[in-house]
Amino acid sequence: MKFNFFHLMPYPYLPDDFDDLEKYPSMSLTYSNGNFDPARGVQLYHRYLDELEYADAVGFDGIVVNEHHQSGYGMMPSPNIMAAALARRTSNSSILVLGNAIPIRGNPLRVAEEVAMLDHLTNGRLVSGFVRGIGWEHFAHSVSPAESRSRFNEAFDLIRKAWTTPGPFEWVGEHYEYRYVNVWPRPLQSPHPPIAVPGAGSPETMRWVAENRFLYVSVYAPTAVVKTWFDGYRGAAADIGYEVEREKIALAVPVFIGENERSAHEEARRHVEWLFHKGLRQSLEMVFPPGYMSPPALRGLLKANLKPYPELSYSELVEQGYVIVGGPESVRNRIGELRDELGFGQMMTMLAIGDMPAELVRRNTDLFASEVVPHFRTALATAG
Amino acid sequence: MTDVVEGPAVARTLAAGSGSISYFRSGSGHPLLFLHAAGGAGMWGPFHERLSGSADVIAPDHPGWGGSDDLPELRGVDDLVYHYLDVLDRLELDRVDLVGASFGGWLAAELAVHSPERFRSLVLLGPVGLRIPGHLVADLFLMTPPQLIAALYHDPALVEQILSVAPETDQIIATYRELGSLARFGWRPFLNNPRLESRLHRISMPTRVIAAGEDRIVPRVHCERYAAGIPDAELVVVDDCGHALYGERPDAVADAVSTFLTERAGGRS
Repeated sequence: MKFNFFHLMPYPYLPDDFDDLEKYPSMSLTYSNGNFDPARGVQLYHRYLDELEYADAVGFDGIVVNEHHQSGYGMMPSPNIMAAALARRTSNSSILVLGNAIPIRGNPLRVAEEVAMLDHLTNGRLVSGFVRGIGWEHFAHSVSPAESRSRFNEAFDLIRKAWTTPGPFEWVGEHYEYRYVNVWPRPLQSPHPPIAVPGAGSPETMRWVAENRFLYVSVYAPTAVVKTWFDGYRGAAADIGYEVEREKIALAVPVFIGENERSAHEEARRHVEWLFHKGLRQSLEMVFPPGYMSPPALRGLLKANLKPYPELSYSELVEQGYVIVGGPESVRNRIGELRDELGFGQMMTMLAIGDMPAELVRRNTDLFASEVVPHFRTALATAG
Repeated sequence: MTDVVEGPAVARTLAAGSGSISYFRSGSGHPLLFLHAAGGAGMWGPFHERLSGSADVIAPDHPGWGGSDDLPELRGVDDLVYHYLDVLDRLELDRVDLVGASFGGWLAAELAVHSPERFRSLVLLGPVGLRIPGHLVADLFLMTPPQLIAALYHDPALVEQILSVAPETDQIIATYRELGSLARFGWRPFLNNPRLESRLHRISMPTRVIAAGEDRIVPRVHCERYAAGIPDAELVVVDDCGHALYGERPDAVADAVSTFLTERAGGRS
């Protein structure tokens, strides 16, 4: 099993009256950047990069950054800049960019160029993820959600061809037109860096990821729902005659390990609540604006009848599997059970949860590295 | 206000592009093409019924709305202009009275700019379509359904009445599809064509712009600029009415349309 340390880099300093939902309907899009303190920004970026570098030092297989726009939920409008900052300060772990939100980029070739550069800077430790971007980011960058999927598809095809086909060649598509495609540098890894794609149950995505044998990564959801996604991905692969390796399936989940069961919940609760009740406070319209999903996909979502994140109580979040919290032994056991139930071979563990202070993140990272990771390495060695 | 009238108007189908569209046609008199707002497709309501007392009303659903197919090959408002010119050709209609509301008002203005000879008169009901920095049309894509209803209607009792009925799943999905179609045609530029205002001088037919007295979606200045830019245009205001216009005060709005057609358009036919 591979363990990756996933950071969102949130802005934790919220106003005291942030629970006023009328005043603050979300931490994204409309939450004024007047609330951003640049001096704290400097501290936060360096603290968060330190945490990622530390994860590399204590033996995580990968460190993970991602992309969000106009939001205090995640301060990485450019994950590639974070990956570049990490490239020369780490040496062992993979660096996973999960991912570049290609539909909302005006120029996909810029992404192809930057990722190819990162592949060299990391000496081939790069995993390149691609995402559509959350609904609110289509508001933020004025890209029609109705075009999101076709822009994603075309941008991806262009980027892959730019990496793998000697240029110059021309590209004339529905959304992008280039007379000369001839990116320097080409990527280091051959034919290109491994590709990862998060999924939230879309059958179209599952089929596409299966056809291409990419890494499929879950997003926040109850365990029972994630199981249907992973089963769907395996099913889509089986339909085209291949069996998905466990390593091609990754569970993304916040994890907190305390010294014992009770103290773990006492310590984690407020930070988990910060993440789901404040960080993920967003209307359906922000997440799934008109055109972002097909009408049948919306029907599926309504049928699943999932509560909005802020309406989930802490105990529901724990019981339904949105988060894993406990003492070392119970977390270890829980991960083992989930691995057997869901059949994943990688985890994107979010060990810096919401507004968790640096000391707690450090201890959580240490405990995970010492109490969980070795157990699964041994298991692998024994099994292998 | 949204009651469907039991009457002679039944949805018909017309082949168009990669599929077909749905339209209503009823009434007698000069043909009148009515282009609906972002809401209000698939419906023959009191407004349509009243108009049809003095006109042959043709009310199609836009592609991606109501009973019409998506016609995904149509990607911009200019495609919709050609779509409606095709519809007029297929129905063998010439020099119709053209009435459009909100998004449909934008389409109507584009049609009138493109082919002024095809239209005897033009009525725009709270039209979008102009780019006016500092007075942007409200971001209805970001509104929750209760926020949207409250912004569309002026009468709080009406808002309360509409919100008192929880929508069926099918209705939620139908609305999501229609707003998704609106996003296809109007996300960026946001419900406007930056070039339209400079082309309004081409609209040669008598025009009435009808503004809602209490429009919380489209600032009044949009109606004023249409009326100022179209050579033979007048602006009238329907008071005690929100942006929904023909949904909120169907009789008053239908009368404001019919009176104009009788006074201005009829004399020239």
